[in-house]
Amino acid sequence: MDGVTKTFGEKVAVREMHMAVPEGALYGFIGPNGAGKTTTIRMIMSILFPDAGRLSVLGKASAVESKDRIGYLPEERGVYKKMKVGAFLKLMGKLKGAAGPELEKKVKDWLERVDLGDCYKKRCDELSKGMQQKVQFIAAVLHEPDLLIFDEPFSGLDPVNMRLLRDLFLEQHRAGRTVIFSTHVMHQAEQLCDHLVMINKGDKVLDASLDEIRDQYDPRTILFSPVDPAGAESVASLPGVESVEPSEGGFEVSLRNGTEPAALMQQILQQTPVSKIELRRPTLEDVFIDIVTRDAAHEADEASLRAALRAGAAEGAPA
Amino acid sequence: MISKVAAIAWREFSSTVLTKAFLIGAFLIPMLAALAIPLIVKFTNEAKAPELTGRIAIVDRSGAVLPGVEQRLSEEGIATIIAESSSMVQQQLAEQLGDNADKWREQLDNPMVAAAIAQGFGPTPVLTVEGQPVDADIDGLRERLKPMEGESADALVGLAVIAADAVQRAPDAEAFGGYELFIRAKTDDRHIDLIRRGLRDAVLEARYAVAGVDAGEVEALTTVAAPRTKEITDKGDAREATTAFNMMLPFVFMILLIMSVMVGGQYLLTTTIEEKSSRVVEVLLSAVSPMQLMTGKILGQMGVGVVMLAVYAGVGVATLIAFAKSDLISAEKLVYLGIYFVLAYFIFASFMAAIGSAVNELREAQSLQTPVMLTVMLPYFFWLPITRDPNSTLSFVLSMVPPMSPFAMVVRIASTEPPPFWQIALSMAITAAFALGCIWFAAKVFRVGLLMFGKPPNFKTLVRWVRMA
Repeated sequence: MDGVTKTFGEKVAVREMHMAVPEGALYGFIGPNGAGKTTTIRMIMSILFPDAGRLSVLGKASAVESKDRIGYLPEERGVYKKMKVGAFLKLMGKLKGAAGPELEKKVKDWLERVDLGDCYKKRCDELSKGMQQKVQFIAAVLHEPDLLIFDEPFSGLDPVNMRLLRDLFLEQHRAGRTVIFSTHVMHQAEQLCDHLVMINKGDKVLDASLDEIRDQYDPRTILFSPVDPAGAESVASLPGVESVEPSEGGFEVSLRNGTEPAALMQQILQQTPVSKIELRRPTLEDVFIDIVTRDAAHEADEASLRAALRAGAAEGAPA
Repeated sequence: MISKVAAIAWREFSSTVLTKAFLIGAFLIPMLAALAIPLIVKFTNEAKAPELTGRIAIVDRSGAVLPGVEQRLSEEGIATIIAESSSMVQQQLAEQLGDNADKWREQLDNPMVAAAIAQGFGPTPVLTVEGQPVDADIDGLRERLKPMEGESADALVGLAVIAADAVQRAPDAEAFGGYELFIRAKTDDRHIDLIRRGLRDAVLEARYAVAGVDAGEVEALTTVAAPRTKEITDKGDAREATTAFNMMLPFVFMILLIMSVMVGGQYLLTTTIEEKSSRVVEVLLSAVSPMQLMTGKILGQMGVGVVMLAVYAGVGVATLIAFAKSDLISAEKLVYLGIYFVLAYFIFASFMAAIGSAVNELREAQSLQTPVMLTVMLPYFFWLPITRDPNSTLSFVLSMVPPMSPFAMVVRIASTEPPPFWQIALSMAITAAFALGCIWFAAKVFRVGLLMFGKPPNFKTLVRWVRMA
């Protein structure tokens, strides 16, 4: 994506997005509801067309020419209510260019794999939402595409099915396929992806691998509660320590650049007995909040953002 | 590419046609109706006809009619009336069939046909005429007409009071007098007709006798032989002038066209809205382009229209052949009907696809759909003037201006004065251009509309989308 912009009326949904997803990668798009994730994905799918900028998908100018090589699970799941599950999947297979005599067998095998073996002849509206979602997943992977795009794949699934879907998901990735998925539940992204793209209010605010993020937002802080508060002073004199500030229930130690946190923790332990010591690991949520509020510097924003993210996390409870 | 469009078209077609609802609605119900009509006619003629036996009192104030009435309402008299009426029906049938009547003559003269027609008059009533004195107590007689529990020997089924001046005009009067007829409640209308006929004939006979004229002479004097009207065509052939059949054919052509276009278009609207509201559309759009999707859907529903058109036109042609009127229709006319179906369908379907893609549910489609529906309904108001004068300026203009042109032209083609070929060609060209414009418009709206949810749009919004896409 090169400077891609999409506006709906007054509202800018995606602003000058630049991005490249390498082949075989597992990318996660994260961001709160309404951030522009679905719009970005729809543009990649050529369902929407950007107002400005250029896109290239699988080496073609747009997904229109390579639709058969892409599998797509849209955010809004839809099936033909009156159609039989088997017939629906066969239709989707045909539309994706996977015609042929083996199509029916493939459909049946897949249904078997997701515990829907007895649903081949059932009508789609006899299935529960979660079951329909699994049917949709099959529709996305049936034609063995090179690129898989899932928009909020886990929303509305129970833990068992969420795990099932996640395993199938990783299996596709291991088979060498490029996988992009979006979620507003940060810890899902943390568990799955090797690369993250954060989107907020139509802007890309972060585009890095999980390792890079860990490095970049490396814990420069150690929290510890000494048994004897006087011990804190001795810690301040340790090499590599920038400052020691009292904080809630203990002290916060800021590290100098280049200091190895693990080694320093050991030194702290040698200096003074502690009741608790921990490395402050930033969650993706912290990183996200940090990035978003860095420029805005609005305290109120942070609180509401956290609330929004938490609400999302509660909805897609962990497996 | 082609296979994708075909897959969508097939789904569209099969999910519409291969459903019980469609088969029942489109074929079974009309078929049952067609079967039921003769049955209903049969039942009303046979089952409901009660027998009529009893006395009918006659108060003959003219003093000249009673013997005639007695004769005509006797068993033989009534049989004669029925026989006369039957032969009149036969004659009317023969007239309707026109030139082809000869082919049917044998069937018409068949005693079975005569019996069937006679059956239409219901069972022959058995009446006993009871002559009453001139000064009889009318109220008392009316009392005897009241329906009563059980049969009384005294009961009457009818009472006729013949006016004193029914046979001989009163001095200075312009008209003759008539008669009053009272009948027992719930008497079959066919029996009443027979009694009135008998009374009328008896009165007439009495008048002829007084006037001194021969009844046969009067009939001869009042009958004018009128052979069927013939019109001279431009080739100089004498041809029968507009008959019911000739008037009906353009109407049938138009109805066929409207029906087949509407059925396909209506289903197109419904399935598009269904795909949109169930959000299948996004999955579909990940596999095909909006244009492919729309093309597939339009072609699939066109198949539905073709099925309807083929079945009903087939039935129509079979009917014409059965009535030996197949010369009214030609392969050429059917081909024109087919071409205009395609053109009219594309225009109509484009709007339906556009509307279906723009709204969120069927209810919202109503307001957008109304103007489109009205355009399709307009031909109903124009078919009569067009059929009466297929080459008038009005007919010409209507058959050139889309979206009316397919319907108007089909009416003209099916009429007895088909338009010259250049007019058909011109109308087709204009309509085809218009249809292409409609498809272009629909494609734009379709692309934008499919993923637009929320406020139901109006035509202004649609135009904005066209500019946007």
